[in-house]
Parts: sequence; structure tokens; C-alpha cells
Amino acid sequence: MKKYLAFLKKDFLVESSYKMAFLLDIFGILTSLLTYFFIDKLFGRQMARELQEFKVNYFSYVLLGSAFFSYIGIGLNSFSGQLRSEQTQGTLEAILLTPTRTSVILISMGLWNIIFATFNLLLYILMGIFVFKIDFSQINILSALVLLLLTITSFSSLGILSACFILVFKRGNPLSWLVSNIEGLLGGVYFPIAVLPGWLQFVSHFLPITYAIRGIQLAVFRGYSLSELSAELIPLLAFTILLLPLSLRAFEYALKKARKDGSLTHF
Amino acid sequence: MLKIENVSKRFFPDVSYRTLLLHNHKPGKPIVALDNISFDQAKGSTLAILGPNGAGKTTLLKIIATLILADSGQVKINGYQAGIDDEKIKSILGLISGEERSFYWRLSGRQNLEFFASLYGLGTKYARKKISQLLDYFCVDYANQRFDSYSSGMKKRFSLMRGLLHDPQLILLDEPTENLDYASALDLRKFIKETLVNKLNKTVIFTTHNLQEANFLSNRFLILHKGRLCALGSLDELRKKVNNNSADLEEIFLKLTQGLGKQ
Repeated sequence: MKKYLAFLKKDFLVESSYKMAFLLDIFGILTSLLTYFFIDKLFGRQMARELQEFKVNYFSYVLLGSAFFSYIGIGLNSFSGQLRSEQTQGTLEAILLTPTRTSVILISMGLWNIIFATFNLLLYILMGIFVFKIDFSQINILSALVLLLLTITSFSSLGILSACFILVFKRGNPLSWLVSNIEGLLGGVYFPIAVLPGWLQFVSHFLPITYAIRGIQLAVFRGYSLSELSAELIPLLAFTILLLPLSLRAFEYALKKARKDGSLTHF
Repeated sequence: MLKIENVSKRFFPDVSYRTLLLHNHKPGKPIVALDNISFDQAKGSTLAILGPNGAGKTTLLKIIATLILADSGQVKINGYQAGIDDEKIKSILGLISGEERSFYWRLSGRQNLEFFASLYGLGTKYARKKISQLLDYFCVDYANQRFDSYSSGMKKRFSLMRGLLHDPQLILLDEPTENLDYASALDLRKFIKETLVNKLNKTVIFTTHNLQEANFLSNRFLILHKGRLCALGSLDELRKKVNNNSADLEEIFLKLTQGLGKQ
């Protein structure tokens, strides 16, 4: 636990030392919320046919969807991003010289970004409640929390796999590219997948984000219980069970390869 | 304390896409970094690793420190085997390199030491006490300044302090006095010899290009050239190797490394 806290403190000190970037990050959340405000003005409170399942207007749907997507994105990229930053700063070797387990190093590297992203998500929700008057009264908190936990673990696994690419290839991360470019399109982030043609809807079922986004919408706006969300929770659980051990093994392998190639300090 | 048996390491150069696509899929011609290196080092002793640039000195230190895996051979420290018992090895070993970039430049020197002390598993109270002791010893008055504001010499002192935080039994130093001014280099050599080795009975292995420094700090030398072990032993043993009973370390070094270079 002490090692996790040490990483957290170090990352907070480093991030807050870049005062302008730190402030701009906070300001960035406000500007993206303003974007949603104007989307709200354009679409008003109309409810599209495809959104009837969620019993919510487009603005509420897209606010929660994109807030959750950015949360997933930060979680996914935090491991590879932090690893890349430690590589380029030259601190990775010094960390690997300490008697710290690889899994602890990995999880610690993602911790600060995940906490910052959670703060980000909370801010979105608070603004949604108090500024945009979105009705979150139906929320099933237990379902939302379980969904959040499963989403974090399954996407962290993908994040660790991304970190493997960074460790071996230094640059070029196909998983991050896939999530940023494909999952946003097919995962139901900006619109429900019901609007997609049949074959694209079929493809979307192979992406964990589809289940995460649909699940969170139903838990928040319809108050679905855990049993009602089984169609979303079971695939996410399966992704976690499959990906987590696989990603940790893959990272051990990537680290071994970098040690064999003598490329730990290369970037 | 340390036993190295038949350690070899080759590195493969990056292959261009053109070579990969047009010629073959085989990796390029390997660079031999270390070739069948074996030696022992007793507890509380010092070994100077000498050799021209590219001889494999730093690779050897990094293999001992578990940062690089050898292609073949074994490294054992206090019975722990590299590649198997890495965490145990890391807790009894300190590698002090000349790499200034291995610190967080946006944090202060003290904050850096506190972070690494946590990773070495030191308790908060003990870590603070240890850091204060080290700061006093190395005469560092500006521990709360940002790391990027320090001079090269000061950064070197922080590298040393970090490497000594967890009181390691085996200390590996990669060119310890590089970038230090004359007086600081003298102080550091004295600290290594009198405190680390004579008083605290630490095992010290260091690389250097400075043969005077090697002579002052150690009475055992390992000379590497193009990854091969040219000589290992005391000054007298090296003299026998070059068949010159009055040769100094400089003459021996030149004879062994240039002689091999011509072969």
C-alpha cells in the first residue's frame, strides 16, 4: 500500500508542478461541458425513437456516454502513457532497480490518472445535475458501481496490453488507436448502436465498450438491478477474467524481452 | 558474495525495413557485449572494472543488477540467482549510475529520495532519518530545491544517496567520479574506501576510465576489451600476465587492450 501511495504522491507533485497544464486540464472539463450545453440547446428535450429504451433525451445520453468514454480512455491510456513518460524521463530503470513487484509498478503507474479521471467524471455528473438539470433520480448505485468496477478492470487490462507495446516498440500503440478511433464509433458512445446498420451492430458486440456504455446508461437512467444488467455484466466479467491475467503475463513477457534486448532505457 | 559464471551477452542491431523486406528476415550481425565472463568477488572487497569505451563494463554491471538478462551463464549474489530471485537481489544491491535523468526533475532532491525510499520498502520515520544522515554526510544544504536546479556534481551526489538508501551489501558504481570536481572526487573516493569498504564492510564493484582512481580504490582489477575478459587479479598478477614485473596499471592496461585490439 505504501508503494502505491508513494507513486500517487509523486505523480500529484509532478502534475501540479506544471501549474498551467493542471489548470488547463480542469478548464478543459468546463469547455467540453459548454459544448454539451449547446448540443442541449440545439436538440432541446426531444427523445429519439432509438433512445426510448433508455427513457432519456439525446443530451442526457451523450453527456453520460461521452463522460464515461473519456473516463475509459484515460484509464486505458494511463498505463502506456505513464510508462512512456518514465521511459523518456529515464526514471523507468531506477524504478525497476527497486524490489517492487511488476504488478505493483504497473497498477501504481495508472493510479493517478484513474483518480483524476474519476474526479473528471464526478464533475461531469455534478454539472449534469446542477447546471443541465438532468434527472439522475432513477440511478441504481450498486449496479452503477459494479459496472464501473468491471469496466475499470477490463479496460485496465487493455491498458496494460497497450503498455506492452510501449515497452517493446517504444511508440505505436494499436490498442489505443483502436479504442480512440473504432470504439467511439461502434460502442454506442455518441448514439445508441440501434442506429447502426446490422453488420456494424454485430461487430460492436465484440467490443467491451458496447456493454459498458449500454450498462451504465441503463443503470443510471432506468435504475436496472444487477440481475437485469446480466447481459452487460457477464460479457464485461468475461473480458476481465480473460484479459487481466493475459495482460499481466504479456507485460512480464514484454519486460523480459526489453531486459533481454537491453532496451529498457531506450525510447 | 558474488559469483559470475560464463556470462555472455550479444546485442542485435536494429534492422531496417528495407533489409527485412528485400533481403532476409534474419536479425543483423550481433555485437558481442560480453563473451564468457567468469569471476568471484568476496564480501567486503573492491573490484575495479576497466576497459575502453564499448568494452562491456556497463553491460556487466547491468546484468549483475538484473536490468539486463544474460544470454547464457549465471549470476549469483549471496546464493540468489539473477533471473529467478530478482527482487531479493535488488534489496541487497545498489546500482549508482551516472545517468542524471533517472530522477524526477520537477521534484525536489528530498522528494525524490523519499519516493525511492518507499519503493525500497523503508518505513517513513526510518527513511527520513536515513535521508537526513545522507544529506549531512554528502554536505547537501539544498535538498528542498527542485532537482533540475542542481549542478551535475550535486545530481551525482543524489545518485549516490539513492543507491545507499536501503543500506545495500553490494554496491555497483558506474564511473562514480565522472562529472565531479577534483575535491568532490577525492572526497568520494575516500568515502568509498574508508567508509563503505573498510568501515561498513560493503562489497564494491565500480567501472572507471581513471586508472589512478582504480589504483586508489581497489587492489583487484578486471580488464575488459570488446566483451572479453583480458585479465583479472591484483597488480602483481596482472604484471605476470604482461611479463613485466615493474609495469604500472597504465602500461598493463594499454598492453592488454591495444595488444588485443591488433589481433
